[in-house]
Amino acid sequence: MGTAVTTLIKDSPPDAPAKRPGRPVAVRRRGRRENLAGYLFMSPWIAGFLLLTAGPMAASLYFAFTDYNLFDSPKWIGFDNFTRMLDDPRWQKSVEVTAKYVVIGTPLKLLLALGVALLLAQSRRGQAFYRAAFYAPSLIGASVSIGFVWRALFSDDAAVDRTQSFFGFDVGGWVGNPDWVLYSLVALTVWQFGAPMVIFLAGLKQVPKELYEAAEVDGAGPFKRFWSITLPMISPVLFFNVLLETIHSFQIFGSAYVVSNATCGPADSTLVYTCYLYQKGFKEAQMGFASAMAWMLLLAVALVTVVLFWSQKRWVHYEEASR
Amino acid sequence: MGINGSVERRTVLKAAGASLAAAGLAATTGCGGDGGGSGDGTVEIRFAWWGAEERAKRINQSIKLFEKKYPKIKVKTDFQDYVAFWEKFQTQAAGGNPPDVFQNAVAFLRKYDKRSVLLDLKSQVDAGNLDLKNFRAGVEKVGEIDGKLLGVPVGSNTMSLVIDEKVFKAAGVKAEQGWTWDEYFAALKKIHDTQKVPGDSGYFGIMYLYDLFLRQNGKAFFTEDGLGFEETDLTEWWQDGYNRVKAGIVTDPKKVEQLKPKSALASGDAASEFTWDNFTVRYATEGDSSYGLAPIPTTDGKETGQYLGSLMLSGFARTKHPKEVAQFISFMVHDPEVGKIMGYDRGLLSTTEQFDAYKPTDAPNQAIAKYEADVAEAGLLGTITPHPAGADTVEAAFLRVAGDMSTGKTKVSDAVKQFFSEAKTALAT
Repeated sequence: MGTAVTTLIKDSPPDAPAKRPGRPVAVRRRGRRENLAGYLFMSPWIAGFLLLTAGPMAASLYFAFTDYNLFDSPKWIGFDNFTRMLDDPRWQKSVEVTAKYVVIGTPLKLLLALGVALLLAQSRRGQAFYRAAFYAPSLIGASVSIGFVWRALFSDDAAVDRTQSFFGFDVGGWVGNPDWVLYSLVALTVWQFGAPMVIFLAGLKQVPKELYEAAEVDGAGPFKRFWSITLPMISPVLFFNVLLETIHSFQIFGSAYVVSNATCGPADSTLVYTCYLYQKGFKEAQMGFASAMAWMLLLAVALVTVVLFWSQKRWVHYEEASR
Repeated sequence: MGINGSVERRTVLKAAGASLAAAGLAATTGCGGDGGGSGDGTVEIRFAWWGAEERAKRINQSIKLFEKKYPKIKVKTDFQDYVAFWEKFQTQAAGGNPPDVFQNAVAFLRKYDKRSVLLDLKSQVDAGNLDLKNFRAGVEKVGEIDGKLLGVPVGSNTMSLVIDEKVFKAAGVKAEQGWTWDEYFAALKKIHDTQKVPGDSGYFGIMYLYDLFLRQNGKAFFTEDGLGFEETDLTEWWQDGYNRVKAGIVTDPKKVEQLKPKSALASGDAASEFTWDNFTVRYATEGDSSYGLAPIPTTDGKETGQYLGSLMLSGFARTKHPKEVAQFISFMVHDPEVGKIMGYDRGLLSTTEQFDAYKPTDAPNQAIAKYEADVAEAGLLGTITPHPAGADTVEAAFLRVAGDMSTGKTKVSDAVKQFFSEAKTALAT
């Protein structure tokens, strides 16, 4: 195929064409035509990428340095949006809320995912059913409807509140309580532990059985086996999940927006970063400021990613390296 | 691949071309669907508003009457709640595709006029497509901004104080025309002390009420292009508010948040609440006490600072059918049958034809009519405060920052600074 042919040409010694002059040209031409066909096939997606992703991104980078209200043409203001942002108490609040959500939600979700994966990794009857059942919430999780269900569950005098009140612990519904509502969002994300769980499961299956047998012979208990074999062996998978879930958590929007009934409240208690970005852009028509916020988020996520990658040499154990 | 290349290549290229064409086709059809006329001269106009299901039912009934009278005009409708409506509208307007005719409020007139979204209806009045006669109490003036007619009022309303009559009676306090703020707050304290109920649900966050207070003192919330008061004014207003929350005279703001969408007055967690008089119908349906409309407290024992506000119908500046839009608005504000259908849902009906046609039979609606008549008779109605572009964002910020302040989350002085800074940004864009 195309790539194979080109590599072949590249790999041949410099004097090769001289021996058989006709063929490489024909091969090259055919390769070019095939490339053309390939690009034509891809054209809808390339066009889509340029028009719907790359173009808007470039535009948003430009808007980030302007004052733009959607109606008048953007005014260049340099770094004003960024300096204003750092002084804005609501922006600070949104960073605080998002950080809290990420720091509490992500580890809980991963712990639960790992815990359930460990249980499901053992061969039992009906295992396939349980896997599907635990995975199901992740499938519907991103939808708006589940946000409404959550809102209904955690409202004043709804299912959760009544159960709580029965045990003499009435907070008047999580949704309306500024001190509690963020935890309902955390509960929502934790409940959707299916995707990392499946990845953990795949990782657990890769751990060689001999290691456990050898450890058992040496008299290692279940905890020791988990700590010294399972955890190091699945650490690449763990790293992958931590990375993915952290990035994902930073982008929380849908659940906060729906559960707070589009207010990101009460009292800004669910004002996650993207929610504030949305308010600035689409409610207050400060598109310049909102674009600047978007790029700040990108920078922050990139920074966290870099830190995570840097940290992995301390705790992520790749098998190849140890061989 | 490779050996029988030529045939295959052709098919391949054809297929690739087809997929490209399909994508292009999808793009063009996506942009199509331009609402407009069809061959037989029938014209379609889009009408959007905000409000609850109930309002939608009434409006759809009214539109049926309109379409019967004007068979060549079809009205396509759309509605959301207040917040969602303006979000959608802003995006549509920025894209040059807002509805042809839509519900509007005074806070948005300058904002969208500045952005050339609003149709100046003056020329349609001159052309005889829009009748501007028979409006009550000069309410049509609300839609006149900077010499243009940007909206036609469908109803009139005014700020009012809604009270829980049973609690007021049990506490032995009476709300009377011309009572002062001192008397009002003394009454709240008495209610709190004797009835163990907070007196008010959070007056300090309502921009339109603070406007009345400022007007009583020779100021106003807005000038033509900015705020009409100082940081010291607001510091006093909010500090008092905060102290009253602490003293239990005003409902705990956290409680108010939790009760939403129910109001603290209806749930029995407050004995009074300031709101627009046409909103008061909700209390009777939400709560089980009896609710009445009381006079706004005054500073000098006389002036309440009240004025008539209103919801309006406005047109899109670049609508393809300005004549039909004008005819639609004219019908909706003048037709007596429409008046009977709409009732006081959007305020007291603005034209005499509609006002005379609708006779409310239920107590809450009768009370609204009486309230506005009383206020007008007492000679208390002034000219509406100007609303500069960005007034809507300022109102939302006022409510939110006041909320943060009242829960103690933000210090009063910081809250005032934050509000002024946000207002400055909002009024500049």
